Amino acid sequence: MPARALAAAAAAVLLGATADLAAPAPPAPPIDATRVVEMALEAPRLIDYEGTKVITALRGGRTETVTVAESHKRPNMMRLEYLSPEDVAGRLVVDNGTIAWHYEPRLNMAFEDQTVQQRLLGHDLTLLRRNYLLTLLGTDEVIGRQAYVIALVPRGAGVRRQLWVDRATGTVLRSEDRDPSRGVILTAYFSRVSFSLNLPEALFRFRMPAGARVFPMRTIEGDSMSPAALAKRVGFPVLIPTVLPEGYTFRGGAVSRFGSLTSVYLRYSDGGNLISFFEAPAGSIGWPAFGQPVRVGASTGRFIDLGYFRVLIWEQHGLRVTAVGTAPTETLLAVAGQIDTAREQALVRDVAHRVESDPATVRQLRGEGLTFPEIARTLVLAHQLGTDLGTTVQFVRGTLALREVAQRLGMRPEALRQTVREAVRRASAISPVVPPSGGGRPPAPLPHP
Amino acid sequence: MRLNHHRAGHLLSAYLDGELSPQDAAGVQEHLLDCAACREAYERLRTTKALLGELPPAEPPAEFWAALRAPQAPPRRRTAGRAPAAPDVSIWRGLTIVRRPAWALAAILLVVALAATPLIKGTVDRLHATEIGVDLYVREHAIQMGTGPLADRAYLGLVATDADLVLVGETPRAGAAGP
Repeated sequence: MPARALAAAAAAVLLGATADLAAPAPPAPPIDATRVVEMALEAPRLIDYEGTKVITALRGGRTETVTVAESHKRPNMMRLEYLSPEDVAGRLVVDNGTIAWHYEPRLNMAFEDQTVQQRLLGHDLTLLRRNYLLTLLGTDEVIGRQAYVIALVPRGAGVRRQLWVDRATGTVLRSEDRDPSRGVILTAYFSRVSFSLNLPEALFRFRMPAGARVFPMRTIEGDSMSPAALAKRVGFPVLIPTVLPEGYTFRGGAVSRFGSLTSVYLRYSDGGNLISFFEAPAGSIGWPAFGQPVRVGASTGRFIDLGYFRVLIWEQHGLRVTAVGTAPTETLLAVAGQIDTAREQALVRDVAHRVESDPATVRQLRGEGLTFPEIARTLVLAHQLGTDLGTTVQFVRGTLALREVAQRLGMRPEALRQTVREAVRRASAISPVVPPSGGGRPPAPLPHP
Repeated sequence: MRLNHHRAGHLLSAYLDGELSPQDAAGVQEHLLDCAACREAYERLRTTKALLGELPPAEPPAEFWAALRAPQAPPRRRTAGRAPAAPDVSIWRGLTIVRRPAWALAAILLVVALAATPLIKGTVDRLHATEIGVDLYVREHAIQMGTGPLADRAYLGLVATDADLVLVGETPRAGAAGP
């Protein structure tokens, strides 16, 4: 990707949608795509519903259709009872906002996990608006209800999403995920739905069936640990992606423990999609017996296409690294190939030299999970704006909007926008190569290792 | 009988020890012919068990043999000027077991087995980790993705439960992460 195009993409991402610069919302804002997304995000807090949903997803090389009775009680209780196909009929997921139970009636087994819904209510729209082009396509009718139709198209490569949002309640009545190379990979729609019910809490209380075997599945420790803190916790080095597709940024790290297997879990998000990196000592985990051998940098890895998700496994620096996401195959391969422990220190020194900073600062920011382009952008911006590193990192990561930074600095948003654009252009010229975007063709096969 | 990858993986150790029914053993054998990962796992388990088998017999301490021979030993010399020492009842109580060689052998085997347990368990855990890696990670990813705005949690819940089942050794549904 040419440096100019890269800078333009990065600037677009950092500057975000024009809504970032808009004045405070008037009492009755005109409807636009951003407002519809806000409605959809607010809906779970405001309304109860129960309905029947039909989901069709790409799964293991074929398409599977699942029917589920879905109930939601505000703000964060959920009950899912799967109705078909036969092999999932009766399966239950009950989340009371604290504990999530998964129950398999065929085997009378119950799995207990802590709920992770809290983050749902604290979602961050800034990152989504920065990295996605939100377009209101019009209105449509879904099961006799009027719905706004919006498109969420990533500014970089990745899955685009189309949502049918109920005009009256903000509930997503229908959704469609489209992969650039494979077409539609997931559709979900309500075939029946009832709103404004005050659903009884008892519906969201899991009642353990007699004789059920219970398996605690609390495999995740921590949630927002930095890679540096994780390395101390697990006692092995943690690899941090060197570069990622534009817009993806570190959203938290955790330790995953299951039996004797201890892994580090790094989450990178662009606000709408997620790439997960799991790292474990190579000796503690074997290669899966399936998947396609692929070339990752100078070594071989294994690529597994699960349909909706793609998985890439490779070894680096004595660690087995597994990346999971919906990102295009080429993107995953490029990101994996860029992680090069041998180049890490050289890149630290190089970036420090180019942005006229010290290697210790660059190393510190790496320990917080930033990629090299993000570090270059952070340091150049901090220098030009006179902001402290913490604030600048928040801005680069999208947890602080441009409008908020402008307020803190007492600048006009338009002036700040211009400064950011220049800083990003400069930072992009001195950053390492970014993986190519687009595509998604399956990797070229390699002989079995 | 044709076994799937996960079931065969769980039966490897028993297969190696000859503890399976002829039907299950044939199933494992057939799976091993097709599955490189299980062959590799089988070899690692076999090597571990072979290493354990090659361990030299544990040499009991000298006191053990002394105590074992004690009943046949000549009476202790009397200490001049003192009454003959009474048999040390506490020692005899403690060594009751060594008067029964079968019990002694069983005790030694138990000690060896206990000492080897972590080694075997570690190997079995690693074999299990070989199987569960992808499912565990897809599960974590699906659960985290479900916290994202606008994700379809009904679908992600299905993926997570599929993975839960594989993690506890159950057969995955068709199309789940696996061969």
